[in-house]
Amino acid sequence: MSELHRAVKVWDLPVRLFHWLLVALFGFMFFSGKAKGNWMEWHMYSGYMILALVLFRVLWGFAGSTHARFSSFLAGPGACIAFMRKLLSRSPAHVAGHNPLGGWMVLVMLLLLLAQAGTGLFSNDDISIEGPLYKFVSKEVSDQLTSFHYYNFYVLLALAAAHIAAVAFHVLVKKENLVGAMFTGVKMLDSQTEVPAVRFVSSWRALGLFVLALVAVILIVKRPF
Amino acid sequence: MKKKFLLAAVAVALGAGASFQASAQAKPEQLVKQRQSAMALIGWYFGPIGAMMRGDRPFDAAVVARNAGYLEVLSKMPAEGFQPSTKDEKATKAKPEVWSDKAKFDKAMENMQGEVAKLAQVAKGGDQGAIKAQFGATGKACAACHDDFRSK
Repeated sequence: MSELHRAVKVWDLPVRLFHWLLVALFGFMFFSGKAKGNWMEWHMYSGYMILALVLFRVLWGFAGSTHARFSSFLAGPGACIAFMRKLLSRSPAHVAGHNPLGGWMVLVMLLLLLAQAGTGLFSNDDISIEGPLYKFVSKEVSDQLTSFHYYNFYVLLALAAAHIAAVAFHVLVKKENLVGAMFTGVKMLDSQTEVPAVRFVSSWRALGLFVLALVAVILIVKRPF
Repeated sequence: MKKKFLLAAVAVALGAGASFQASAQAKPEQLVKQRQSAMALIGWYFGPIGAMMRGDRPFDAAVVARNAGYLEVLSKMPAEGFQPSTKDEKATKAKPEVWSDKAKFDKAMENMQGEVAKLAQVAKGGDQGAIKAQFGATGKACAACHDDFRSK
């Protein structure tokens, strides 16, 4: 086993901020969705924020730094199978960005988060609160979307659990510093790992895209027109 | 004292007789309709209070007090429609747990009635902050039952 002594910067600041903000908001959504009562008001605000964050992340997947782009981490079936063959070995995976399975997990989570936030906008709790777009659908459709919102959360929770389990496996068994890398942006790799030429895009562009996503969400939610 | 006791016994007997009669005659689908109608009205009068508490519509203490007063009466109604004879009704979201865990269901129902009564009390005072706090507690009491006894 070769030593992991090459410090390589892989995650840009926007990706890291997105990740940890999402973790915090997801936890709050779990809590507030269960707590009900006046917490529902904050559940909605937090949902708008998640929607803006996920929209931003989708944009960043096209216009962000190398390892943030979908084109860099959505691997073909061949790469996925090759990766899985070596998965259970105790040696590190030697991947600079997302590994092939992790990359698809990112996409699935983003899509389901989008569906979760999107259906939330049309949901009602049959007690006292409705999503901002509730008025555009029938009660029946809203009830169906609310039902989806309810069950899809558990799918997301299961995905989050699988994600954490996978990271734990990589950290504990394969000795990769994945958690640390999501804080610092730096991964420790060995000398053989192929490190592609990485282009880091300015965080100012990320801020611009996030503001764009946030404005879009506010326009959807507040409907000033 | 004896007379009072006798009167009370008669009242209880009459009351029991009256409710027995009502449930003996009511068809299951009527009972479902009874409780769904009560729930619909509860939603009708509770919703606007929520909109005011969130600032979606201007706070009007008189409307809050009126609605909360209605709700205090309405909150006592749905329980009556949850009779075992409605167990197999199709057009309802009531879960089988309503009957298999009756004690918990009854307790949740009572808890809700208690919170609504408090809301009606607080609403009379017209203090927006106090109303909001009790509104939240009442919403939680509603949700507690919806979570466990109502299909999603």
